[in-house]
Amino acid sequence: MDRRTFVKGSAAVVGASTLPHRVYAQAAAPDKIRFGYSITQSGPLGPGAESTSISQYRLWQKRVNDAGGVMLKKFNKRVPIDFVAYDDQGKPDELLKLTERLIQQDRVDMILGPYATHMNLASAPIITKYEYPVIMTTATTTKTYTLGPKWPYAFWNISQPEESTQPLSQALAQLKKEGKISGRVAVVNVALEYGVEMSAAFVEAAKKDGLEVVLNKSYPLGSADLQPLLREVMASNPDAFLAMSYPPDTFMLTEQAQIVGFNPKFMYVAIGGVFPTYKGKFGNKVNGILAYGGIDPGAPGMDEYAKAHLAVLNKPYEAGAVNVYSALQVTQQAIETVGEIDRKKIRDVIASATFQTVWGELKYVNQRNANPWAVGQWQNGEIVGLHPSNKAGAKPLLFPKPAWS
Amino acid sequence: MILFEVFLNGLLLGGMYGLIALGLNLQYGVARILNLAYGEFFIGACFIAFFTITGPWQLNPLLSLFVSAPIAFAMNWLIYQYLMIPLIQRAPDQDALDADVVLVTFGLLFVFQGLALVNWSGDLRGYSFLSVPVHLVGAIMALNRLLAFLGACALAVALFLVLRHTRFGSALRAITIDPVAASLVGVDVRKFSALAFAAGGALAAASGMLVSTFISFSSTTGVEYTLKALIVVIMAGVGRVTGTLAAGLLLGVVESLGGYLVDPGLTIAINFALFMLVLLVRPTGLFTRA
Repeated sequence: MDRRTFVKGSAAVVGASTLPHRVYAQAAAPDKIRFGYSITQSGPLGPGAESTSISQYRLWQKRVNDAGGVMLKKFNKRVPIDFVAYDDQGKPDELLKLTERLIQQDRVDMILGPYATHMNLASAPIITKYEYPVIMTTATTTKTYTLGPKWPYAFWNISQPEESTQPLSQALAQLKKEGKISGRVAVVNVALEYGVEMSAAFVEAAKKDGLEVVLNKSYPLGSADLQPLLREVMASNPDAFLAMSYPPDTFMLTEQAQIVGFNPKFMYVAIGGVFPTYKGKFGNKVNGILAYGGIDPGAPGMDEYAKAHLAVLNKPYEAGAVNVYSALQVTQQAIETVGEIDRKKIRDVIASATFQTVWGELKYVNQRNANPWAVGQWQNGEIVGLHPSNKAGAKPLLFPKPAWS
Repeated sequence: MILFEVFLNGLLLGGMYGLIALGLNLQYGVARILNLAYGEFFIGACFIAFFTITGPWQLNPLLSLFVSAPIAFAMNWLIYQYLMIPLIQRAPDQDALDADVVLVTFGLLFVFQGLALVNWSGDLRGYSFLSVPVHLVGAIMALNRLLAFLGACALAVALFLVLRHTRFGSALRAITIDPVAASLVGVDVRKFSALAFAAGGALAAASGMLVSTFISFSSTTGVEYTLKALIVVIMAGVGRVTGTLAAGLLLGVVESLGGYLVDPGLTIAINFALFMLVLLVRPTGLFTRA
């Protein structure tokens, strides 16, 4: 990751190449495993990439190296992790160039995923071409169903638009059946691939479940005032309000809903709703708000993870980043099962084995996480998982959302 | 009634746009330096306000103005004296200078952004301050947005009075109109330009502090505010201080009403459409004398 270690690393490579060739023939254990990644550090998506992905990469590296490194059975030796990192500025073409560079020039052993749906999608073909297995941790798109099978080296860790929105629609249909709501739903979305797909998937599910979508509008990323939009939402008189939003607008919608006194009984915000800074800003007013993703705070290894997070990164963990950490654990477990850096075998292990992680038990079917957390909710100041309800640690829905005040 | 509220909130939003642009217009209009690192001072003040309220003492974030504005003033003065003066001295004409300045301040942007990333990480931040509704004839506004609006008006009026009624202001206006002629009548152009540039930086900090009460921000979002400010400055006319606030208000109201009456998806498009219209009809800005 640091340029210095990278320079040292390359110096070591140059030094090693002057040694007699038979040193290589003996297949000595590598002195480090080099992970490369290209991710968005600057631009509007930089903050999300930092808190969701990059911080987890750093934490994982520290924890694994403190424990001696990744165990390579073939050499019976623990080998530390080293990073080579680049900033793709949120541009898919930069990402492709940099990934090519990581593989061709830096000759990294493994690749870690980029940030955001469109970047994950851009990365999948190229890592498949070079046969580097990568678990994509920040992609929510229906394309994983149609295009996913074409990219056997890409794995999809988080819940996709249908999986993420159908439980919401079903929960609302259940409330309607119980006579607790009349079934009027307002949905807004940020005009990005993620927001559009989530919104479309939800509206389709809602119609099937007999709900009435009374408002469905989109707004641009970077909106400076969402109060007029909220006024339209209020005018449509919904029981439930769902925002397929990105972090800055998640914060703004929540604040402005309080200003105008909009108190839906059921409120969902998408990305950013599980950030610790979200709770930092709104305090206990977050209780009852539903958000994208979820975790089981009682999952095995969670306590140690939470402690290490606070100690190393100097802040509490965030629910939306736990899945990223789980992908790193899967990667490590797969490498240790294979016992050497053989990317084909590592890929096959990820595709077939079951893994124990801080995000619960993980298994990939058709390269997609078979049962990811899809919906979470703030309860007693903590984010908990609601759906899938058959997962260990799943909690029942808190309804209605307490009024602001 | 809702329409009235949307209009009022458009005014508040426009006040924010004007506020963000005031300092940039001082830097670009008087000192003739297009400072692309402008938004970094805005974001710096956001962070200082954030740490003032969330830090160990939990102080009123408004107090942070007493720290961030002087720091921004001093840093901008130093930037002018030690980075811009050499460029000004070696440039054969204003066009060549503009090109150099854009490159150098673009570089500065990344230096400041890098420092911010190292110190404060890239996390999204925000805090709650005066996040309470204010009722005015049935319409609801957020008190923190209202405060930023009043701050914008106060700063614009103060700046206007300084420019109109003080010797310092007369010197600045002379420089705005013609720096060469100003120096011929005894105005120390270098000294006054440096002060105007520094004051512009302090205004960036003041606007950042006020706006941070209701937006979320991170180390990398400064450039968005530089762009917004630049649009307002170009619309108002370079060097027009009160025009800056008026142009901001116009943008805010049109954006709000357009978003509400037509479609919320169009707010940013409406903004740029208005900007292009002004460029076509009055390329030197709305508030310049013909």
